[in-house]
Formats: sequence, structure tokens, C-alpha cells
Amino acid sequence: MSPEILRQPAEVAYAAELAALRRDDDEPRPVGWALSPKRVLTYLLGGKASDGTTVVPKYVGNRRLLETAVATLATDRALLLLGVPGTAKSWVSEHLAAAITDDSTMMVQCTAGTDENQIRYGWNYAQLLAHGPSQDALVPTPLFRAMQQGRLCRLEELTRMGSDVQDTLITVLSEKTLPIPELDTAVYAARGFNVIATANNRDKGVNELSSALKRRFNVVVLPVPDSFEEEVSIVSRRVAETAVGLDLPVPKNVDDEIRRVLVVFRELRSGATADGRATLKTPSGSLSTAEAIATMIGGLSHAAWFADGRLSADGLAQTMVGAIVKDPVQDKEVLSEYLETVVKKRKDYAAYYAALNDAL
Amino acid sequence: MISYFGVRHHGPGSTASLVAALDQLRPSVVLVEGPSDATGLLPLLADRAMRPPVALLGYAADDPRRAAFWPFAEFSPEYQAVRWALRNDVPVELIDLPVLAQLDDAAPAEAETEDGTAGPGEPDRPGSQPDDRRDPISALAAAAGYEDPESWWNDLIEQNPAPGPIFAAVGNAMAEYRNHTTTDEHDLRREAHMRRAIAQAAKNADGPVAVVCGALHVPALAAKHTAAADRALLTGLPRRSASITWAPWTNARLAYASGYGAGVSAPGWNQHLWQTRGRADVATRWLARIAAELRQAEHLVSTASLIEAERLAVALAALRDRPQPGFEELREAAVSCLFGGDPVLWNLVADRLLVGTQVGTIPEGVPLAPLIDDLQRQQRLTRLRPEALPRELALDLRTDSGAARSVLLHRLRILGVGWGQLTDAGRSRGTFRERWVLAWDPTFAIDLVDKLVYGSTVEQAAAGLLAEQLGEATTLGALATGCEQAMTAGLPTAVSVALRLLADKAALSSDAADMLGAIPPLVDVLRYGQARRTDAQALGSLVEHLVVEASLSLHYAARPADADASDVLVGLVVGVDRAIRLLDEAVSAGLATVWDTGLAAVVGDDQTSPKVAGCAAQLRYASGALAAADVVLLVQRRLSPGTRAVVAAAFLEGFFTQAAERLIYDADLRDAVSQWLTDLDEDEFVAALPLLRRVFADLGASDRTRLLAAALGAGARRAVGVRLAGDGGAGWERQLAVVARLLTAPTGGADRG
Repeated sequence: MSPEILRQPAEVAYAAELAALRRDDDEPRPVGWALSPKRVLTYLLGGKASDGTTVVPKYVGNRRLLETAVATLATDRALLLLGVPGTAKSWVSEHLAAAITDDSTMMVQCTAGTDENQIRYGWNYAQLLAHGPSQDALVPTPLFRAMQQGRLCRLEELTRMGSDVQDTLITVLSEKTLPIPELDTAVYAARGFNVIATANNRDKGVNELSSALKRRFNVVVLPVPDSFEEEVSIVSRRVAETAVGLDLPVPKNVDDEIRRVLVVFRELRSGATADGRATLKTPSGSLSTAEAIATMIGGLSHAAWFADGRLSADGLAQTMVGAIVKDPVQDKEVLSEYLETVVKKRKDYAAYYAALNDAL
Repeated sequence: MISYFGVRHHGPGSTASLVAALDQLRPSVVLVEGPSDATGLLPLLADRAMRPPVALLGYAADDPRRAAFWPFAEFSPEYQAVRWALRNDVPVELIDLPVLAQLDDAAPAEAETEDGTAGPGEPDRPGSQPDDRRDPISALAAAAGYEDPESWWNDLIEQNPAPGPIFAAVGNAMAEYRNHTTTDEHDLRREAHMRRAIAQAAKNADGPVAVVCGALHVPALAAKHTAAADRALLTGLPRRSASITWAPWTNARLAYASGYGAGVSAPGWNQHLWQTRGRADVATRWLARIAAELRQAEHLVSTASLIEAERLAVALAALRDRPQPGFEELREAAVSCLFGGDPVLWNLVADRLLVGTQVGTIPEGVPLAPLIDDLQRQQRLTRLRPEALPRELALDLRTDSGAARSVLLHRLRILGVGWGQLTDAGRSRGTFRERWVLAWDPTFAIDLVDKLVYGSTVEQAAAGLLAEQLGEATTLGALATGCEQAMTAGLPTAVSVALRLLADKAALSSDAADMLGAIPPLVDVLRYGQARRTDAQALGSLVEHLVVEASLSLHYAARPADADASDVLVGLVVGVDRAIRLLDEAVSAGLATVWDTGLAAVVGDDQTSPKVAGCAAQLRYASGALAAADVVLLVQRRLSPGTRAVVAAAFLEGFFTQAAERLIYDADLRDAVSQWLTDLDEDEFVAALPLLRRVFADLGASDRTRLLAAALGAGARRAVGVRLAGDGGAGWERQLAVVARLLTAPTGGADRG
């Protein structure tokens, strides 16, 4: 693919790592897998390939959870990644697909407007009208193609689409077939086919999974990063990667600023100061790790284009306020209370106190 | 020939290999790590009624607080080794230092240096903390590239379906480990003692000798030491002998989390491994148990999900290079397939599964510490099974079984054994229901042994202990409470002691407050008591005596100077009055008259505290001794213009203590009060305001509204028309001045608001 592409799929961006891991992979692997399950784990959690290539960690957190996810896909059970927004569900799903089948592009983004035609198959109406129902008139969906080719299909935000549409997956997941009654035939999934779905377990407008469907998934809940250091390392890594992708220079002080921003995010998220001495009101937004990353990228962009490469509280404040204040009345109060009671007293946050107050 | 079997305490895999090895070796004597003076108790393990987990309880006869347990679970290698020996008629001996020597050694170093291989051979001392300074299993596991030492041992030994000559291998590994670490004095002495015992046994034996001990000790036991060196190490051992007995143990106490250093992380899982040893469906059965627990907690789990969970567990084990799914894999698979990824649900069942609620049983006739023995008998009689995890129990005291259980639990409470905790606060005898939360902790055995001096049955000991406490009691109130306690716990001898002491003390006491405090608990005993007839009579006359004495001295007692004392007295008077009114007509008729005389004296005496007087007047009014007209008269007199407003208000407060509703219903009374209030000039009103406010603080919001409506009569509606002044204006200045005066006004000691 050409370098003009804004964001390369994982298997392209990390092609060198995947190739290095694949080179002498003599462990047994399930049918259709490009890597053995253990190498998949190495790819996700980081390590070294046998030829010395460094594999950067794609997920920082509980190893056991990822082991469960990989082991699930190694059986023929579908995997459901659950979590609050910004816990790297889609990120993990993309990298799982990239590592296992070397193809993370078979993806359906589920929305409230997704209908059965986008899940099962659609029709090319010109063909249909001209020649009647036939294989040629069929428009395959990513799921359809994944079944034919024995690949992984990703369903993003599964619970955003309607329950009736969700339930079309039941046959696919239990019988591994997709009937096409119009042609009196069916697609039988090739070995290696499986589904990775992601879903939000705390969001408005979510259609609860039916228990029939839920039973067909093994569920892995991705938690919010536990420790401060863990979250710092996640944000630093993603910020560095994204900055490279966007050709943004990374100033020296970025790590310090990440720490400060994360302290603010974590304190507001947990409703208590880091030392546990004071309780705080929590804003209505989820203040996820993903939002912290976006805030930092926004700050870097501001620094690169408008501040001669200097990353400062001024550049970050506007985006921070945007992330924290989701409800214009309530959250504003929460934030100004936090600023006055906590931030004001901290000497090293003086710049943030001023900048955030300005932005408010 | 001596064979050493280095085992992991409480490791079911070691146990299975050990039994197989013993079957093959057919030793002529089996030596087991454990206090040597307890050898005589081992044959009891063969008793059918002896169900593990049980523990050897050793304690210094002169100081039962110095005690330690040596637990045996069904899956402990030591237990199975002893059982093997008993089954095959082979002599079996414990070879470690005797109990007291172990207690003495460990006393200076508070923390027990436990290691991963320590176990039933290692004592569990109440209060000792596990110490991971020296953990050979961790070191070896790390060398093998394992993060979790449990998994390493599990894979290599516990769950290795085809173990090679593992005991030799473990011995070698430990020898290597010990070359790189130091062993403390205590362990050196223990090993010296074991070596000597082994040498002795080997000399007498005419066949192979089997030594079963913690893996860590194997190299030291097998090594050559001169007898003289060992003797030197063992000089100065205590010559006294310890008392040793069996005590029931719990799985919960076998867990690391309980603070037992030689424990295992999941005794429930170990038990499961032992029970399913040699079977191919270990994982399946474990998942089925998880499902059963979940279903019990009313979560629907389908069989299909169980199948999926097992497949996932197997895949996970393969991914982690483990030969079979361990409990971590099964847990993660269960969380993913059965619990919808929600680990909270797992916590719901984890305790019951991983720890288990089992409590061991000791057969009848085993020479237990007498109190433990008696408790077991009582438990059988009342059908109260000790369980490790907390369980709620509701008792109906009207039934025989409910009463018997309640008595047992109350007796144990007196003994300081907190098996049952009463959940509903307040009087236990005011109702026929009692709610308890039961949770058995094996350390209760120590509490029981500790109380042996008081008697050899639960009943005797409780009575003895209570009698001792009663002897030390200084107030009538404490004695009366003790008497009530004795009665609830069904301890007639203690009741008699309490009554005798009460009678003695009451005869000498002239402190009315003390006497008043003693009356309500005693009346409770009288009302609900099943005390023996003689006791009932004695109690009746005692109550009578107390009431008479208290009544006579009441109006002297009611002349205290400070407000706090009168508050206390008001509380006591109200309590006694209620108690007397609750008594049977036959008993109380005479008492009520006497009591009323006492109250009348308080009311009639102008020197008594106005608050107590008010209270007494109200009580007389309530009992009908004072007619409505008289009350109004009395209130008017007490509130007459000559009386200082503060004194009048104190009277009012006393009068309306817990009886402010009276004002709502009693128009005459209300008029009298209202008259007084409206006649007060402003300064007096302000001075009395805090007291008045306190009178009405007891009233709920709706009662206040009703009182207001009653006081204003039809005019209550007028309030609707009242409007707030827009600016407050001059009125506000006036109010401010009043508030300022209120805050600074000297209102005497009565104002604490």
C-alpha cells in the first residue's frame, strides 16, 4: 500500500514484526492461523523474535486475559471483548486478527443503522432484476467472505446494532453456516473462520445481547488500567506511535505532561485524589485512556503548528476541557471545583490551573 | 534400609505418589514429621468417625495460651502415611521435637519461618504470620522459568500423570537448594531430633524404614551426623510434658489467607484433586461443581456452557504449556464462558469452592480436651454443625430445639468463644426470636482449653467463669446484668450466685441510682426466667426489697445539684417504672403502690431536681395515680409566675420526657402549659427557650404539626395568610438581637444545646 495512507492496518504497520515471528515458528498451529498461539501472544504482549527483532507490546495489562482470548480463538468459539470505552477493545481485536490471519480488514462496524444485508449478504439489484437470484447477484459481506476463506471477521460495537440483527449471528456461530434460502444453498464456513466482536458494557443506546447469542461467545472483559504506571506506559506508547504516523515532532517534556494529564484524568475518573485524602465529584464522561491519548495528540499538534514545538499546559487545556466537560453545566462545576480545591494547591500544576481556568 | 519421602505438606500429588511408594516398599516402620510426644494419638486417625480436617492440639498444661496445631487434611501426605501404616499394621511414629520444645524454640522468634514445603509437620500457631523469607519452591520454580511456584509444583508433582522417581529428584533439588541457603537454629534442632529418632527406629526395625517429612528436611536427615553433635544440639530440651489432643480443623484454616504459613492457596482444589486422583475427568468434575455452586446462587448455567468452558480450559493449558488445566485455567475459562467475563460472579462462589466449608469431626470417646469434647456432644445434641464460613441462624425460643441452641450459644459467648454473634442489637429476651451469625474458627479450641480451669463441661465452665466475674462486680447493676446473662444462658448455679451476691449487696447499698439500675434486668429475669422455684422466690423478694429501698431513698437521691446526674436519674426512673408495669399483676400490685409512694415523695418535695420531679409527676399521671385535674394543678403550681423560668422549664422537660405527645391529646394540660408560656416575659422566655426546644425535639415532624394545630385551634389556618416581609427590615434587627441574647444567655447547666 502506498505511504499516502493515513493509517495502515495493523498487519501492514507491523509487517516486519509479524514476518520475524513467522520465520521459525515451528509450534503447532490451528488450521488457518498464520502464527502459533504462543507467537500471537508474543506479538500482542511484546518480546523478542528469534532473529533479534524487537516486538513492541501492543497491549499492556493482564497477560491472563489475552491468553484467554487467544485460547478462545484457538477453539472454534467466538470471542467477545467487553469493556468501558477506551479500554483498547478494538485495538486488541485488530491486532488479534492481524496476528492470527494476517488480515484485519474483514470488519463490520455495527451501528444502529446496520441491517441484515450488511451482516449476511446483500443483493446487486441490477443483476437481480436482470437475471433473477443467482450467485452473481449476491453481494458478500465481510462476514460472508471470512466464512468462505476461513478467516477472522471482526464485528465492532456489536451491541450498537439492533437485537434482531444481532441474532442473525446465532446460526453462524453455532452451526458455522450461513443459509441463503433464495438460492437454496448455504455458505459453509471454512476451517479457520471465527468471529471477534467488541462491545461496550457501559453506554447509552446499547442493545443488550440476547442470552442465546451471549452463550455463543466466550467473554473477556478488558479492564481500565489498574495502576498509574501502567496507564502512563500505555499513553506514552500510543502517543509516540501516533505522533510518528502524523509526522508530529515529539518534544522532550511529553512524558512529564502525560503524567500530569493522567493524574487529572485518573483523579476525576475515580472520584478521589491520588493520595486518597479527598473525595471529588466525577464528571459524566468516562475519561478513558483513549481520551487521554487523544488529548495528548491534540496537544502535540497544537505544539507543532502553533507553538514552535513547545508542548505546554496552554496547548493541552482546551482539549482537556473538551474531554472532561461533556455536560456543559454539571461537568463545568465539577471541573472548577476540582481546580479550586485540588489543583490550585499543587505547585507543579500552576500552569494547568491557569490554562484550564482560562479555557473554562 | 531407610527411605526418605520428601513431600509437600497438603499436596495431594505428593500424597498419591507417597501411598504408591509405600505400597511398593512395604516398610516395617513408618516415621512421620510431627511432635514425637503425640505418637500415642495417631491410632485414633483410623477411627471411622474421625473425619479430617483435624489437628493435633498441643498446649502447655500450665498455660493453655501457649498452644499450637498440627493440622491433617484428607489429602495431606502425613495423614495418608499414618493411615497406610495403621491399615497395614505397621508401627508408626512421630519424630519431630516434642510440643513444648517446639513452642519454646519458636517463642523468641515470633514469626514462624515457613517454607513452601512446610505443612502438617509444621505447627500452625495462632497469630503466627507466614514468612516467605525462605521458600525453596519459589526458588526452584523460578529456576524452571515459572512465575507461579504453585503451578510448577502442581505440574511437576501434583498433576504429573507419570511421575518418575520423584522423591529422589525432590531430595536432590532440596539438597542443592540448601547448599545455597542457611538453616536456622530451630530447624537444625528439629532435624537433629528427627535424625536420632530415625537412627533409633532403624536399629530396632527388621525391615525397611520409611521417613515421611517436608521435602526441605530430606537432605539434612539423610546426611551423616555424629550422635554426639546431635546430642549437643538437643541439650536443654524442656522436660515437662505437654497436653495433646485432637481438635476439629477447618479447610479455611488450611488456606494461606488464614495466616497459616504452611497452608495451600486453595484447599478446596487440593481436596478435589485428591478425591478425583487417577480419574481423567478432574476438570469436568470441577466445572460441574462450579456450575452447581452457581445454580445454588440462582444463576442459570447450561451444560453446553460447561462443555465450552472445559474446551477453553484445555486450550489455555496448552497455550501455557501445562500438562492439564489447573485451577487458574479452569477459573479463567469459567469466568469467560459461565460468568460472561464478570469476575465478580466468580468471587461469589470462590470461597465455597476454593476453600470449602468442611469442619472435621472427632469420634466420641477420644480423649479430647474435656471442654471440646463436651462442646462436640452439645453440637450433636442441638444439631448445630460447625461450619467455617459465616451462616445465619434464626432461632425460635418457644421451641425446645431453639431454646437449647440459644442456651449453648449464650454459654459459649460467656466463655469468650465467638462462634455465634447475635445480630439484632438490644435485648435478647424481649422477643422469642434470636438471630445469630455462626462461623467456626478452629482457634476456638484454644479458647476452650484456656477455660478448662472453670469446669470440664461447657455449662460448668460458663457458670464458673460467670460466677468469678460476678464476684468481682462492684455495682448492683453489673450483678443484675450478670444475673440476666446467667439466666439466658441457662446457668441456674450462676443465677443463684448472682442472687446471693445481689441480696448481700442490696442490703448494704444505700445508693438509689445503683438499686434502680439493677431492677430492670432482674425484672426481665423474673418475667422470662425459668429459674428454679426457689430462685424465683428469692428473686421476687429481692426485686421487692430493691424497689422498696429505692422508693424510700428516691427523693433524697433526686436532689442532685447538676443536670447530668438528673438526666441519668430520669433514665433510671423511667426504666424502673416500665419494668414494674410489665410485671404480673399479682406481683406488681404491691410494688406499684410502693413505687408510687416514692414518686409522690419526689413530686411533693420542693428540693428535688425539677427535672426528676417532672418525670415522676408524669409517670404518676400515666399510671393513673394522679388525676387529670390534679396534674393540671400541679403543673400550674410548678410553673407559677414566682418560679424561675429555668427551673420551670426543667420541670417541663422532665414531665415531657418521652411523653410530649401528651400535649397533643390532653387539652387541660396544654392549656396550663400554654398559659405559663404566654405569661412569661421576653427575657424569661429567651432564657427558657433552649430547654423548651429540647422538650419538643423528641416529637416527629408530623406530631409537631399536629401539636401546632391543636395549640392554635381553628386559628391554625391563620398561618396561611402570613407573608414574609420582603426585606426583613426593622424586624430583622430585632430578631438578630434576640438570637444574640440566646447565644450568650446564661441558662445554667441545663443548656447543652
